Amino acid sequence: MKINAGNLKKGDFILYQNEIWQVQKAEFYAPGKGAALMKTKIWNVKTGKNIDITFKSGEEVEIVEVESRLMVFLYKDNENLYFMDEKTFNQYSVPLTAVSGLEKYLKEGEKLYVYIFNDVPLSVRPPLSVRLKVVKAEEAVKGDTVSSAKKPVTLETGAVIMAPLFIKEGDIVIVNPETGEYTGREGK
Amino acid sequence: MKIKVNFSNLKNHQNFLFIIRLIEEFLQKKGYLKIDLPVLSPSLIPESYLEVFETEFRYFDKREKLYLTPSPELFLKRLLVEGVGSCYYLGKSFRNSDPPSSLHSFEFTMLEFYKVKANYMDIANELLEMLRYLNEKVKSDFALKINLNKWEKISVVEAFEKYADIFEKELFDHQLFLQKARKKGYQVEKFSYEEVWSQIYVSEIEPHLGKNGYPTLIYDYPKEFAALAKLNPDGKTAQRFEFYINGIELGDCYTELADWKEQEERFLKEDKQRKKLGKINHPIDKGFIQALKYGLPPCAGIAIGVERLAMVFLGFDSIDKLKVIDIIL
Repeated sequence: MKINAGNLKKGDFILYQNEIWQVQKAEFYAPGKGAALMKTKIWNVKTGKNIDITFKSGEEVEIVEVESRLMVFLYKDNENLYFMDEKTFNQYSVPLTAVSGLEKYLKEGEKLYVYIFNDVPLSVRPPLSVRLKVVKAEEAVKGDTVSSAKKPVTLETGAVIMAPLFIKEGDIVIVNPETGEYTGREGK
Repeated sequence: MKIKVNFSNLKNHQNFLFIIRLIEEFLQKKGYLKIDLPVLSPSLIPESYLEVFETEFRYFDKREKLYLTPSPELFLKRLLVEGVGSCYYLGKSFRNSDPPSSLHSFEFTMLEFYKVKANYMDIANELLEMLRYLNEKVKSDFALKINLNKWEKISVVEAFEKYADIFEKELFDHQLFLQKARKKGYQVEKFSYEEVWSQIYVSEIEPHLGKNGYPTLIYDYPKEFAALAKLNPDGKTAQRFEFYINGIELGDCYTELADWKEQEERFLKEDKQRKKLGKINHPIDKGFIQALKYGLPPCAGIAIGVERLAMVFLGFDSIDKLKVIDIIL
């Protein structure tokens, strides 16, 4: 299906230079000369690469109907993440190159949306946040009262993130899996 | 659409108003006369690249269309003809069909100032002085990490060659330009020179502007983008510049076209283009042409988006941060 670039919105999948991309950001832009434009940031579902593309708002863009299906994350190896569709029990693999670091924050058994096109898995929709247990955290140095100070902590998936000094082993922290940023601690 | 209250922006909003105060302080010190103007007008300057808001005056059976002004130019130039001298308007302007975004709002604060017996480069000097003034007065933790001692000046011709690999010959010849654009991967079928030109400008030129440690002044646009600017003696370019800080366009300046015949021709062309694009069919401001016939003194003027300017000086990435009440989609 073709639509005018002026109607693109975040989340749409498009065909651009024979590859499938997801729109991460779409902003209308009227430069005060010539035509109105659509400034977009698009993400290549295969390579995980982000690029900025400016379309004329009247330019036709091919929209791709990509399905997002809830699946269980089984395990990963050096090349792929493996998922199972709980309805059909079919297994799918998503290459690590398509998830750009997301795998560091995924727990086995977790349910995630996998993007599927023509029954081929393309990538994984990053959850807004993940909750992970801290398995290793150094004691904060006494007397260090700078509120913005941070220390490295190791999470149950093996990922190391920077967290506030008050975080202890056994705490459940909330992390943005796209940036690896600590965003909070789960209340006890 | 909804009304949104962003009360946590109150401090930012006060800083925004402080910047407005500094701008006015500067301009008045420099001898510019402040003018307040209507925002509703029965006729407008036809501009094909923007859309306007239409409303209606009613009195018993009387009905008359009125339009919110997308810029104060039509009023200020009448006053320049009367002999007001260097002057400015700082207030609301309206542009329809611009959905709210980090850099756009359909209702925004515009600063437009005119200097008589001056051309666009005289405005450039005055403007740089104004930026320095703002930077000195805005609290130091907001101060720009950019050197305001000089402009990085680049002509449109130089910029296309440097950043887009498009040479002068290709830039001005519509056919060669579209050929080159197609080779670069742009869709050109069904699109005009102006449309493809602005797409390449925004994709390949703009991201570099105002990023080399100085604010950038990009000047001498092809005559297709002359709008109300005077042409250069080369006949191919207009005396227009825009200025950028950190890739963001902040203002648009012309040496003003005083030739009423040429202005009338451009108006008719723009009006035709508006009709072709299905835009709101507002009356052309004939009084404006009439005023030009009396004689516009040699002058140059600039329009600046004040929210954008304040956003850059205050270190925000969106104009939303300056608003306590916002109308959102």
